[in-house]
Amino acid sequence: MNTRKRPTTAAVIIGALLLLLFTASLLTLLFPQSRTDGFTADVFQNGELIESIPLDKVREPYTFTVTGEGGCTNEIEVRPGSIGIISADCPDRLCVHQGFISDSRLPVTCLPNRVVILLRGNLTDADSVTPDIITY
Amino acid sequence: MKPKKLTTLALYVTLSLAIYAAESALPPLVPIPGIKPGLSNIITLILLRHYSFRETALVLTARILLSTLLFGRLLSLFYSLAGGLFSLLAMFFTGRLLQQKAVFLTGAMGGLTHNLGQLLVAFFLTATPGVLSYLPFLVLSGILTGLFTGFTAAFADKYLLPHIGGDDFSSS
Repeated sequence: MNTRKRPTTAAVIIGALLLLLFTASLLTLLFPQSRTDGFTADVFQNGELIESIPLDKVREPYTFTVTGEGGCTNEIEVRPGSIGIISADCPDRLCVHQGFISDSRLPVTCLPNRVVILLRGNLTDADSVTPDIITY
Repeated sequence: MKPKKLTTLALYVTLSLAIYAAESALPPLVPIPGIKPGLSNIITLILLRHYSFRETALVLTARILLSTLLFGRLLSLFYSLAGGLFSLLAMFFTGRLLQQKAVFLTGAMGGLTHNLGQLLVAFFLTATPGVLSYLPFLVLSGILTGLFTGFTAAFADKYLLPHIGGDDFSSS
């Protein structure tokens, strides 16, 4: 077992596969989606859209409460440009620890209450079919 | 099953349950659901090398049921079972392909598939495609923590178990 052996083909393939997945994930995280004009927060519960808030239109911070089955509650605070869960009665409170989100990379999720808050970029002109400059 | 084997397997259940308990006492490393070290996987990796698939699955299922009973809620049972059994299958086949060598690769594969299994359950439970944006985080953390448990399992297997394992390990 102490002698260095040449890696088997299987090991090389599995290692390469893992490395590929690893790099792909890293790149996805390092380069988020293209610039947008601010974000719209979609609040889902049990997969249903219950609230849709354009975050760039928010001027004053406010809170609202989502009550799930079994009496679980999540208190959601909306601020200009960001959104987060500020209190919850689930045991681990991972959603509260996640803090406020202001880009589309990671949703805030409360699994016990099945609440997902997802930011979706508003389309800018650059994303639509209109080109920036047309040269002839 | 012989009493000796039953006792040994039961001891492994206790060991992985103790590791699980110690791990859940730690504060979450990153505030993303599903990302944790998964240290009990060390036991699963060691068992896969020395025992049959059936016996490993038995220990893993017992550990998951007991840990849910002691620390979790019913909902976490689905996540743990899906992740655990999915990664057990993946590690079994990876281990075979690698002829039980390069355990760190088997571990990384296990960590990865564990997180993928959990993500699938979250996808079906919340019915929100949005949870899929966790995928890159879960792939990264699964591979990293899996590499760690894989190396730990390899070292434990090499240096620790020969001193405590008894005759169960003389055969391998």
